[in-house]
Amino acid sequence: MDEKRVCTGRYFMMGNVACAEGAMAAGCEFAAGYPITPATEVANHLAEKLPQVGGAFFQMEDEISSIAAVIGASWAGKKAMTVTSGPGISLMLENIGFAIGVETPCVIVNVQRGAPSTGMPTIGIQGDMVQAKHGSHGDYEIIALCPSSPQEMFEHTVIAFNYAEKYRTPVFLLSDAFVGHMREEVVIPEADKIKTIYRKIPELGTDPLKLKGFLDENVAPMPIFGKGFKAHVTSSCHDEYGKRNLIDISALDKFVRKLSDKILKHKEEITLVERDYEGAEVVLVSYGGVSRAAAEAVLQARKKGIAAGTLRLITVWPFPGEEIEKMARKAKHVIVLENNLGQIYPYIKAEAAHFSEVSFLPPKLVGEIQDPEDILKKIEEISK
Amino acid sequence: MSELVHPYHRFIRPTVTHSSFCPGCGDGTIAQSILRAIDGLDMDMDDFVFVSGIGCAAWIPSPLFNADVLHTTHGRPIAFAFGIKMGLTEKKVMVVSGDGDLVAIGGNHLIQNARRNIEMVVICSNNGIYGMTGGQAAPTTPMGVKTTTTPYGTFENVFEDISGLVIAAGASFVARWTTGHPRQLTASIKKAIQKKGFAFIEVISQCPVQFGRKMGVGNAVQMLEDYKNRSISIQEAKKLSKEELKGRIVVGELVDLDKPEMVEEVTRMRKKAMGGAEAAVDTGRS
Amino acid sequence: MATLRIYNELCKGAEECGICLYVCKEEVFQPSETMNQKGYRPPVIVNEDQCTQCENCMIFCPDLAIVVSEKKQKKGSQ
Repeated sequence: MDEKRVCTGRYFMMGNVACAEGAMAAGCEFAAGYPITPATEVANHLAEKLPQVGGAFFQMEDEISSIAAVIGASWAGKKAMTVTSGPGISLMLENIGFAIGVETPCVIVNVQRGAPSTGMPTIGIQGDMVQAKHGSHGDYEIIALCPSSPQEMFEHTVIAFNYAEKYRTPVFLLSDAFVGHMREEVVIPEADKIKTIYRKIPELGTDPLKLKGFLDENVAPMPIFGKGFKAHVTSSCHDEYGKRNLIDISALDKFVRKLSDKILKHKEEITLVERDYEGAEVVLVSYGGVSRAAAEAVLQARKKGIAAGTLRLITVWPFPGEEIEKMARKAKHVIVLENNLGQIYPYIKAEAAHFSEVSFLPPKLVGEIQDPEDILKKIEEISK
Repeated sequence: MSELVHPYHRFIRPTVTHSSFCPGCGDGTIAQSILRAIDGLDMDMDDFVFVSGIGCAAWIPSPLFNADVLHTTHGRPIAFAFGIKMGLTEKKVMVVSGDGDLVAIGGNHLIQNARRNIEMVVICSNNGIYGMTGGQAAPTTPMGVKTTTTPYGTFENVFEDISGLVIAAGASFVARWTTGHPRQLTASIKKAIQKKGFAFIEVISQCPVQFGRKMGVGNAVQMLEDYKNRSISIQEAKKLSKEELKGRIVVGELVDLDKPEMVEEVTRMRKKAMGGAEAAVDTGRS
Repeated sequence: MATLRIYNELCKGAEECGICLYVCKEEVFQPSETMNQKGYRPPVIVNEDQCTQCENCMIFCPDLAIVVSEKKQKKGSQ
């Protein structure tokens, strides 16, 4: 990767700025968005940095056009991203479905804030977790990463771009106001230590009539615009050549399944978790900023001689059910921690309840990450 | 003796056997006018990326034109086209869609990109109705007309001057024709393609099935005759009062001016960001 | 070479559409009873020698179903 793009060094950096630096390092060339708290710093930083390497950030008229422009730029062959918060995602959902339907690599950063509706902009909650998976209409699979620190805002943004390009799909970075606005040490490695992936495109000169540019579980090469591929790109039901088919139900079945299978087939290599539950009877399952409190509580519990552990989901989507099962088979009690009223809890419970006791510990106040002391109390209660 | 071959069939996607329009639909005439303009400029389909939205007119380029075509969501083609143009500045980006798509659901993208004066051609087929969904009232449906969603007649004021809106928003080229003016339309499309800026062409187009037949306006031929009778050139129209122009269709090239164009302004901005150095077009990819 | 050609299978009918008949000043076309595969009745060419090659029928046709041969350039014209 171009050294101009990677600001190697040790910094005391805000999570949102680290995200923008991650995008730079990943090779982002085009960003579009609309100002919104608590995500704006990402846009501000990209607006400053992208033009220096020949890219640009564009402030659009709304979030609908932001994601539309990102998809357009991606089809023009650019690595592209948008950044927003929950209200913006709500506006983007139709076009996110479009991006999935026509297999468009792009990164969508959601710095989640107090919700529903306009909610409380500067407070972080994990309120849009299921929206990312089910917000747009129809069956589809998505990839979503949940950073828990400014360092991970950098690293996960790079991974998000790599996943987007590799699997030709939108990838969510589900951060929140706490992680986005948190300032911590961020170490940015040297350019040659950062792995970047670019989408495959068909061989130039391929006969457009023979070009299979869609619906391959192993990810079809993307017939990007401007290369003479004469791509017909429609999110209406189509075949592997991109040809629209609005009559045949078996074509719809193939359309739906192939899109999903493309992600599910590669679930194992996509899934990222952090396991620290060797010999643990009580395992805390969490993701994002909340996992910091979980780690602290487990540390305290272990000091008291309680066999506690953690499982942190880094990729929440595709849902790592196998990882949950593997953990639950060994644990006696599973405590799910989220900064919401229990969005991923039902998914975890469905996988774990057959093997262990599963409970949910909500935050005392939604918008306030669980106090490690409270988590510890719960662990002690359970392990009595 | 060799058989005559249609000169524009070479622009049609080989997998397309026929256009998807109803008999007598003006959208087909618009399609040919676009292809005639491209041919007239000695350009190739690979010089273009076409973008369309949802509705009958969106099917003008999709899948008909043998080129890169992005068929987008309802109302958003101009927003998608923005990203494509910024990524492929050397290509001509042309949006073709209807009045419902571009002006009703997608109105703000039309306004804001006309304001930006980003180089692209937007062709709006204005048939005054939602045709594809079965003849519902559009903002462009005249007041009092019975449609499937206004069985007692439309009770909203009609959007009379789409072109006027785009002019006010700041587009550098705006023309209005009807499908009764295919030669003039082609000439304007040629100019629009060459324009450094946002070029908008409104084409009043007949929908004989959902508009003409149901509303008693007539078939395709009667609608074309009506356009012919009601059309008045912008030069002539300037001599008439607002009252005298009631019910008339003002046609011609309404605006053609030079002003800062966005892609060029972005290049200038990048140079500034790079400290005056030449802006690199490539961004780190080999 | 013929002056005109109708692609019968692309045509959507003289009755349903009929634009070519309307725009032709020389009454070169006439409706016919013969149906194409789509069930439309394309017009037939009856007065080809009257055709002035104005191209109206071709340019107006919404289905790219008519082609008119190019006008022979008069000597000395552009």
